[in-house]
Amino acid sequence: MDWLIILTIGIPWLGAGLIWLLEERQSRLQHTLAVVFALAAGVAALAMLPSTTEQVELRIKIGSVFGDFTFVPDGLGVFLAVVATVVGSLAVIFSVDYMHGEAQLGRYYSLVLLFIGAMAGLVLADSLLLLFIFWEITALCSYSLISFYNDDPKAVEGGIKALIITQLGGIGLLVGALVIYAYQGDYQISRFLNEPEVLPTNMLSVMAFGCLIAAAAKSAQVPFHTWLPGAMEAPSPISALIHAATMVNAGVYLLARFYPAFEEVDGWTTAVISVGLLSAFLAALMALFATDLKRALAYSTISQLGYMVYAVGTGAIFASQFHLLSHAVFKALLFLSAGAVIHSVGTRDMRQMGGLGKQMPFMRAVFIVGALALAGLPFFNGFWSKELILEDGLHEGPVWAYVGMLAGAGITALYTFRMVWLVFYGERRGSGHIHEAGRLMKLSTGLLAAGTLTTWLLIGVFGEMLENTLIYHHLHVESAPTLLEEIITAPATLLALSVVAAGLLGWWFRAPLAGIAASFKPVGQAATSDFGFEWINRRVTDWTNAGANALRTTQTGSLNWNVFGIIGGLIVVLVILALGA
Amino acid sequence: MAIRARRLLVAAMWLAGVSALVAIVLYRLGAQQVAVVELSVGAGLVTVLFVFAISIAGEEGLSEREFIPNELAIGLLVVFGGLLAVMDLPMDELGVSLSEAEFASIFWEDRELDVLLQLVFIFTGVVTMLGVLADVRKPSRIKKRSDIPQAHINPAFGTDKHVPQPVLQPVAPSETQPESSKETPA
Amino acid sequence: MSTLTILAGGALALFAVGLYGLLITRNMIKVVVALQILVKAALLALVVAGKASDQINLGQSLAMTVIVADTVVAVIGLALAVQVKRVLGTMDLTELSKLRG
Repeated sequence: MDWLIILTIGIPWLGAGLIWLLEERQSRLQHTLAVVFALAAGVAALAMLPSTTEQVELRIKIGSVFGDFTFVPDGLGVFLAVVATVVGSLAVIFSVDYMHGEAQLGRYYSLVLLFIGAMAGLVLADSLLLLFIFWEITALCSYSLISFYNDDPKAVEGGIKALIITQLGGIGLLVGALVIYAYQGDYQISRFLNEPEVLPTNMLSVMAFGCLIAAAAKSAQVPFHTWLPGAMEAPSPISALIHAATMVNAGVYLLARFYPAFEEVDGWTTAVISVGLLSAFLAALMALFATDLKRALAYSTISQLGYMVYAVGTGAIFASQFHLLSHAVFKALLFLSAGAVIHSVGTRDMRQMGGLGKQMPFMRAVFIVGALALAGLPFFNGFWSKELILEDGLHEGPVWAYVGMLAGAGITALYTFRMVWLVFYGERRGSGHIHEAGRLMKLSTGLLAAGTLTTWLLIGVFGEMLENTLIYHHLHVESAPTLLEEIITAPATLLALSVVAAGLLGWWFRAPLAGIAASFKPVGQAATSDFGFEWINRRVTDWTNAGANALRTTQTGSLNWNVFGIIGGLIVVLVILALGA
Repeated sequence: MAIRARRLLVAAMWLAGVSALVAIVLYRLGAQQVAVVELSVGAGLVTVLFVFAISIAGEEGLSEREFIPNELAIGLLVVFGGLLAVMDLPMDELGVSLSEAEFASIFWEDRELDVLLQLVFIFTGVVTMLGVLADVRKPSRIKKRSDIPQAHINPAFGTDKHVPQPVLQPVAPSETQPESSKETPA
Repeated sequence: MSTLTILAGGALALFAVGLYGLLITRNMIKVVVALQILVKAALLALVVAGKASDQINLGQSLAMTVIVADTVVAVIGLALAVQVKRVLGTMDLTELSKLRG
């Protein structure tokens, strides 16, 4: 078991090192090695599945002062590691076609592999310090992959924005880690979950809200969501892997992991529910008005992550993680097939597309599978998990939140069908030659489509795994048939389905409803301008720049004066201390 | 003296002297292991490096015209030192008695992370130094700033999707190299 | 006045000398010398503090880290100084700060 953990993290990192060392012209070898290493990591992670446990399985001694670096392969961790490595392998396979002939493949693949390893490490780590280190490595990879085309100012801007915002969240996590260390003497998460009482109440709430900020920044939740649309400058497989299926889930993972400890903190669950609700609802509106295909998908990712956060807030850890699984699969599918479309059309603007279904029948088929799952139509995986969340939300959460989420589900259906229609149906509005996607692209999207149709069958196994190994969460998950039956027969399901159907009909009859649509125009404008969050972002950036410029005059660049300043500052501090003491 | 000495070589020699003195004091205090390392590294290795550096770079007769008036500097330091001394000097009162482990066990077990990071640090230091010194062969890099962007954009970089734009922040390879070596742990 | 207090005072004095060096010197090599003296002072202070609290071996461990860091700083500083001298023909920091854009 312990060597499996080492393999899952080590194989991709080893691959990253090797590929980095290869020469640029050996691109075939680079492609092959990347696929081999990613698949090997996927196999190692899958091999961990049968033997999940809540015990510490791997302990790396780093000295008693810091506490050991420990890894616990419990159900939650192993499941996310599997998602990271398997979707990672598929994204790498897809990249072989997508990145064909691009320069600097070495950098691309080694960053992707570094990311896969770090993500697996993040979810398996039991030491909060180690978790923080992996957390930052994933942020680094995300940044450098968003800015992969570093000659494009927009990509660089998007990357830096993502880096800064996720770093803000990182501070929250760091605060949490230090609080644990200060009161507990080490960083062990399982020890902390076992007895969260070692922290005084106020410190516990500092930590709880610190983690919430970290999670919101990482999972692109309101008000920190603005980096995710900007991150769409990355190559499509990256968007699929990092910004849909894995890294953005780290925030949800963090909340789910610490839920037993934070549950009792005043106002925490309400805050989590509100964040989830706002993200789910607002992002769905923004997706409705987006014209850029990848941006629309990014907003829908924010919105779906909002559902998961909401589920954690209502205590439905299982539903949240199950939706995470479904979402990882179908959103990776959507991003990859969108990538194939974009690769072939050469634009991301949906207004330039249309009628592509004839030239790309395979991509149309898999995209529609993903879209139906996203919309939550029956018997795709998204249906089961979303219904589970909504049902738990109805029973456990406040009603206002439930209504909001339900409306969000309707809008989700509406924007999904709009997307499918604009891309694959109607008249073609752009020009240029369209070619069907490559064979490897079809392979990876096909596998994901098959996953979209089937992963819900795992509901029972998955629930059992979480129930057995997450001992601090006291989960109780029904058996698969009961769960499925419950979902189908619950009135909440019918309600949700009818809202989804309303969304669908809304798109179908959009012409007769044009009058009503026009009255929504202000909403549309607000949504396109990101409900002002983008504006706030820009103001903050401007203020920071202005402040920095003002401070610049104090930088003489002369070492002597700098040291003078340092000593002067120290004297001030000392005087203050002397007076205070 | 090490500061006031006009000639660089003399300054380096004085530094070695200070180092040796510190080493002796450490030894008397009971910190034998560190004293030995300090003597060999601080007084030995660093001095040799200084001598090398000075012989490569040569003495430079700088006019010692100071930026900050001498009196001001000394006055500032006296205030600073005085404050610190008043606040922290009575050392004996600390007298916390803790059970003390062996040096080896503390160094290798309790602070294992420190040791690992030190190794990484030495490694990056060496790589950085090599990177900095490697530039000797291409001194034109710093003079002609306009050369830098071209050196970094691969001509084949812009594919049909991306029009190459000027790189925003040119980075010399010597700066990026140590980073890359850090990212490839075995 | 015990030995420890005197030694702590000595460390402080050494620290002041190092800072003084940083304040007045403009030669890059001398900057490195001054930094070395600063660090020596910190080293001494660490061990003295360790001795004062009967944890001299912990002090030693930390001092070891300091020595490593300090040596690396010296090496890189000197390499930089040599390089700057080669390329720009001067080691005067005042001249160098004219380069800032």
